Amino acid sequence: MTSDRTTSDPLLEVDDLRVAFHTDAGLVRAVDGVSFSVGRGETTCLVGESGSGKSVTAEAITRLTPSPPGEIDGGTVRFDGEDVTRATDSRLRELRGNRIAHVFQDPASALNPVYTVGAQIREAIRAHRDVGKRAARARAIDLLDATGIPEPATRVDDYPHEFSGGMKQRVCIAIALACDPDLLIADEPTSALDATVEAGILDLFAELRAAFGTSLLFITHDLGVASRIADRVVVLYAGRVMESGPASAVFDRPAHPYTRALLACRPGVPGGSRPIPGSLPDPVDPPDGCRFAERCPHAIAACRDGEHPARHRVGDDDHHVSCIHYEGNEGTELGPPPGEGAAWPAWSTRAGGRDE
Amino acid sequence: MRAYLAKRLLWTLVATWITVTITFLLLELSPVSASEAAFIDRQVQAGMEYEAAAELYDRQLGGGGTATERYLDFVVGLATLEWGHSTTYNRPVVDVVADAWVYSVQYVLPATVVAVVVGFAIGLYSATHQYSAGDYAATTLAFVGVSLPNFWFAVICILVGGVWLGWFPTHYTTDVPGLLSLANAHQLVLPTFVLGTAAIASQARYARAESLEYVRADFVTAARSKGISERAVAVRHVLRPASVPLATVLVGDVLGLLFAGAYVIEVIFGIPGLGLVSYRAILQGDTSLVLATTLIPVFVAILGNLCQDVAYTLLDPRIELGEGR
Repeated sequence: MTSDRTTSDPLLEVDDLRVAFHTDAGLVRAVDGVSFSVGRGETTCLVGESGSGKSVTAEAITRLTPSPPGEIDGGTVRFDGEDVTRATDSRLRELRGNRIAHVFQDPASALNPVYTVGAQIREAIRAHRDVGKRAARARAIDLLDATGIPEPATRVDDYPHEFSGGMKQRVCIAIALACDPDLLIADEPTSALDATVEAGILDLFAELRAAFGTSLLFITHDLGVASRIADRVVVLYAGRVMESGPASAVFDRPAHPYTRALLACRPGVPGGSRPIPGSLPDPVDPPDGCRFAERCPHAIAACRDGEHPARHRVGDDDHHVSCIHYEGNEGTELGPPPGEGAAWPAWSTRAGGRDE
Repeated sequence: MRAYLAKRLLWTLVATWITVTITFLLLELSPVSASEAAFIDRQVQAGMEYEAAAELYDRQLGGGGTATERYLDFVVGLATLEWGHSTTYNRPVVDVVADAWVYSVQYVLPATVVAVVVGFAIGLYSATHQYSAGDYAATTLAFVGVSLPNFWFAVICILVGGVWLGWFPTHYTTDVPGLLSLANAHQLVLPTFVLGTAAIASQARYARAESLEYVRADFVTAARSKGISERAVAVRHVLRPASVPLATVLVGDVLGLLFAGAYVIEVIFGIPGLGLVSYRAILQGDTSLVLATTLIPVFVAILGNLCQDVAYTLLDPRIELGEGR
């Protein structure tokens, strides 16, 4: 790391980030005041359902948000102490791929079909390193080897369509690691893959994080995946943070009704999976107060008023929740919703998660 | 790869055969050359021996022999470059064509190159800056360029550039030191400009439409996330993949545009190229020459399509080459 800042500072601090999209239906505030951080060497998981603003947040960090129609219209993104939202275009190019790299959801569309995988890895290397073609090729082969591609020396000259889905994602990870980045942002990197392939890719992330010392911001809708790799968890809903904290705290003692509902709707939960009733609020004209109130079994009249609920600390850890039920009773736990009683499932999620 | 190319080559031969056969059938059924006497009369007046003219008629236009024999003669004649005698120029058709083509190519080729380079550049800029002021300007200009009829635009260019400003000659003359001389280049400015504007506009529209398919592609965002420059993103990750579908319209579109455009331009500027030759041949009822000047573009198009098929295999690695790897 080339910074003289103390290592106790988080590598990435996102503060009150706002991203809006101009659409025919009106202004969609896809990310509406999101704050979280990624510590050095840590894995932070952004979780939430489709449309919660996870991917928009991920792309906004290196300002990949398509503009128009998108626009980052508030907040700061501090990477290693530097506000990326104010960086010049050339400074941004120095960060992208070099210090912050992305892995995208669908490896089949993230690779350009007309170039060999070797050419695409070399492009990432030579964007930031002054090396010759030969050296870049050697590095590309090493990276393919490190990401578990068999026979890398011959595969380097193959085209993306000659690889399977899982192998393509390994190539994308090799591209992301080309310049040994400090932060890797992986946006649902296993969602487009088969469950059997997914396990291999998750293991690869864990392995590479240990080998390269990379911090990881991992976006997923799958709590099973998050519970396997996260150090910290940030739960998003309709463009806002509902709950955040150490993975152990969030999974063992989920505080927000939304987090609990997400955990309860996973397949294979003891007592049967419970889908969350209703759907996401209108993105153009979101309701006042808590955006989850419409679907929340704990909702009271006060939930539907005013601003997004303030952040309250839960327990002793750095575990926070945005829910009015915790106002004034920091450290206590919310009981089962009215009428549910003992049927409300227990929260031990580490057991009973998928793929385990 | 070889099997694929062999297949394309075979198809090229089949397409050529079909073209030749249809042309023969049209000639057989055509009433235009029905009168052998009129034909021979014209040939003799043009200075040909009677026997030679009669024999030419037999070979070319269906006198004598069975239909099969006439067909075989026709095909063999085409293949051996025995394309008959032009009554308009009183010379063998092959000689007329051999003299004329260079006058067409000398401005069609530069116009094509400029159209593809400039048109693609404009289209790519438009696509990567969609809905910006520059895009609107480019789209509007392209629309105007495509809509302007060449015959009108050519006349206006002569009026403005040749008559009012007096910068360029108003018509083409072969009375120059040579085709590679400055004087020749000078008199080709207006024709190239007229042909080029329409072609640039048309290429820019295609390039914009195809590039737009890719500017929002995931791999473009992925490329941008590597930290490469916007220009590298546009050229390597938008234009390069778009070149595959662009190649499919390129040959047909450019050829159609240029042959049709060249006709009008050569007649207006008086350039003695294939377009003017064809125009005069039609006016004079010079069947052999009309045949030659119509078949040549067809053969060029067939060859162009073959080149296009080969270009595919180089542009898109996913094209199945007709055999296992």
